[in-house]
Amino acid sequence: MSEAVPVKRSISPIFWLLFGAGGMLSALFGPALILITDVLGPTGTGLPADFESYDHALAFARNPLGKLVLLAVISLFFWHGAERIYLTLKDMKAGPLPVLKLATYGVAAAVTLVTFLLLLAIGF
Amino acid sequence: MSEAATLTKTVELRILRYLPASDESPSFRSFQVPYSDDMSVLQALQTIKDTLDATLSFRWSCRMAVCGSCGMMINGEPRLACNTFLRNLPPGPVTVEALKNFPIERDLVVSVGDFVKKIESIYPYIIPKEPKTVAQGTYLQTPAQLAAYESFSDCINCMLCYAACPQFGENPDFIGPGAMALLQRYNGDSRDGGQQKRLDAIAGEDGVWSCTAVGICSEVCPKHVDPANAINQNKTNSAFDFFLHYLRKDAAQ
Amino acid sequence: MSERRPYTRPIDEDWWKKPPYLSYTARELSGIAVTIYGGVLFTGLFSLWRGPESYNAFLRFLQSPLSLLLNLLLLAVVVYHVVTWFQTLPKTMPKMIVDGKQVPAAKITQIATLAAGGSSLLLILLTMWVAR
Repeated sequence: MSEAVPVKRSISPIFWLLFGAGGMLSALFGPALILITDVLGPTGTGLPADFESYDHALAFARNPLGKLVLLAVISLFFWHGAERIYLTLKDMKAGPLPVLKLATYGVAAAVTLVTFLLLLAIGF
Repeated sequence: MSEAATLTKTVELRILRYLPASDESPSFRSFQVPYSDDMSVLQALQTIKDTLDATLSFRWSCRMAVCGSCGMMINGEPRLACNTFLRNLPPGPVTVEALKNFPIERDLVVSVGDFVKKIESIYPYIIPKEPKTVAQGTYLQTPAQLAAYESFSDCINCMLCYAACPQFGENPDFIGPGAMALLQRYNGDSRDGGQQKRLDAIAGEDGVWSCTAVGICSEVCPKHVDPANAINQNKTNSAFDFFLHYLRKDAAQ
Repeated sequence: MSERRPYTRPIDEDWWKKPPYLSYTARELSGIAVTIYGGVLFTGLFSLWRGPESYNAFLRFLQSPLSLLLNLLLLAVVVYHVVTWFQTLPKTMPKMIVDGKQVPAAKITQIATLAAGGSSLLLILLTMWVAR
């Protein structure tokens, strides 16, 4: 039996690449992002007191490059977590697989879509 | 200590036994074996078979971690019985069971048929890029080209990595670490041109995509083959191939 | 007559919470922290879209001691993610051969972790410099 039956391709590569991209992005910049946006920015430590003011945040979200950063970070971080949480819940036999997929990949897909729409609605 | 004093010391082996002709399911039985400092678990099993119970079944051959026959669970960990020494195990009874994740044929002997089929499925031979006649000479390889795959050629098919892999435990159809190490041994060989055939064989859910990079397979490998590396670098290859296969002219469908 | 009757043992359903697999499960669960940070940014973006009042409430929460405490906790878990991510990295790439010898996995992990620490530090310094 040297000629094997062609195997059915898995679609896992799509999710795995999104997981990998999110994992690498968060590994390279995650700690810095948390410190900047959640600790140093709001308290004005080492940064201007109005660093994260409404006007500044709006200007950032209206800048095309700022939009790209927000979409990449938010969606890829969700896709990264979705893959890891799905596989762990599967290991734990936490529920039927379609339900687990919906609760992980489904949420990541929804957040990606809504983020895209919010960035459009906020305008340029 | 005199030799006589050493030999009076004994060690208890708790062995999971299963005789298909008489036992409904496996159960533990204990044996007291005379202990010596240079004794391996395999030697202890041989002592039992020679002096206490000739019906005890286990596989072994080389006694020197080369043949890969004597893989079993020792105190719950997948190990080769021949290079696991009693003196290195914690005091108290030593638990010995058939390799985890495989059906038990009898006592410590497991079924290997599925594993052999998996190895056959990944084209475990060199498929030359350009076939040469004898007159055209040999295929040359630099030391660096050899180093690229050499460690993957050290696999002795002992299946300890399969016993360590929880995803193989969950899904017996998963191609698993050992067969993937062999796949990489050929895919990484500069003389080989069969990469695409092998990538096609592992692109399914039971191929590389059942692996979740737990990594214990590499830790239990007695030959430091690093099967986790073989699987995970082929996840990258398979992921790119997933998108590239649409562009290939010769692609199926 | 064959006496073959292979016995299949039941699988251990709880392997994921036992050593040596527990560290793998912990590593995977660090993905929750990464997602939570994505959630914080998403919440900020959503409140920004709703208007100044909503956004300022979001900002006031970020300034609260509770939020600072939670974020330091989040930071610790994400740093754990960074460390374990680069421990896994050598497994996902082809063998690196330099001068005919294989580069040890520990060396790759070390260099990549330092590079990641450097890139995070650089981003903070760059932000401070741009915002000054």
